[in-house]
Amino acid sequence: MKLEILKEIIKKKENKSEFAIVTKLSTGESEIFIDKKPLSKNFNKYTDQIENFYKSKKNGVIDNTDVFIETYIRPIKVIIVGAVHIAQYLVDYAKSLNFEISIIDPRGYFASEQRFPNMNIINKWPNEAFKEIETNTNTALIALTHDPKIDDPALQHALKKKFYYIGALGSKKTHENRCQRLRESGFSEDEIKSIHGPIGIKLGGKSAPEIALSIISQLVSETYKK
Amino acid sequence: MKNSFDEKILEEANDWIKTNQKVVLATVIQTWGSSPRQVGSRMIVNEKGDFSGSVSGGCVESAVVRECIGIIKDNKPFKKIEFKVSNESAWEVGLACGGEIAVYLEQIN
Repeated sequence: MKLEILKEIIKKKENKSEFAIVTKLSTGESEIFIDKKPLSKNFNKYTDQIENFYKSKKNGVIDNTDVFIETYIRPIKVIIVGAVHIAQYLVDYAKSLNFEISIIDPRGYFASEQRFPNMNIINKWPNEAFKEIETNTNTALIALTHDPKIDDPALQHALKKKFYYIGALGSKKTHENRCQRLRESGFSEDEIKSIHGPIGIKLGGKSAPEIALSIISQLVSETYKK
Repeated sequence: MKNSFDEKILEEANDWIKTNQKVVLATVIQTWGSSPRQVGSRMIVNEKGDFSGSVSGGCVESAVVRECIGIIKDNKPFKKIEFKVSNESAWEVGLACGGEIAVYLEQIN
């Protein structure tokens, strides 16, 4: 692989683009495939097969050819509401798993650069913050403040936009009260049931890193169910 | 569906190159049967045999490292190698899981 192609791949990953790398195994030549853009003469006769692999987001050698394709898809966006202690550990796990994290917290003393270096922190109330983040059914929400003033608007946004994962921290009692408030706001039982609350899988631990691990485990598991 | 989990091996390759190391990229391109790592899994190897990432669960990495050092020495741009189910010989390199994998080695230059 040529160094300039490697650098281009890294740049595209940083920009969260979707693309594929195609390699001719018999010659070692490789290039970057971008949807709807023509390929060079080395690869253009395989365009249909390459597009098929790309659309099904697969890696592999195209049947009866010597062309290997590896597809890159956009990282999953995870929004954490509450720049709390658990969030500091979540950020570390999420980085290794290539999730793209944004943290929302209107409380400036929580959402500080010192506590979360090099992170996308939005120091606003959720309704304002969501104007800055594009969200869809491929987005996840982790609500950690267990303060209805902060969590509830975020949960409502996530339910309306049908996020594939919505989790909310809090005891069973806190969660019951939360569900009741959402009912009163007009959300259906099915919508309310889609919220993972209390959040996380049962690990048994109670420390901040253990709770973060239980949350990230549930998130990964739900990501594979999509 | 493929997920976006990514091990940042290419980023690490670029960091190695910045410090003037010769780097071979090894990629799992095909698997048959039960194999420990999926297609697209990667490792990088430098001329000294330092490596990062993986193409199996530790079963064939040492052989991949040797092959990579070899292609740097011989200045070959690429090579495809295959590993099959290991035989009875205890120290033979192979996949204990009974699968087969094809790994593509390519120098970054």
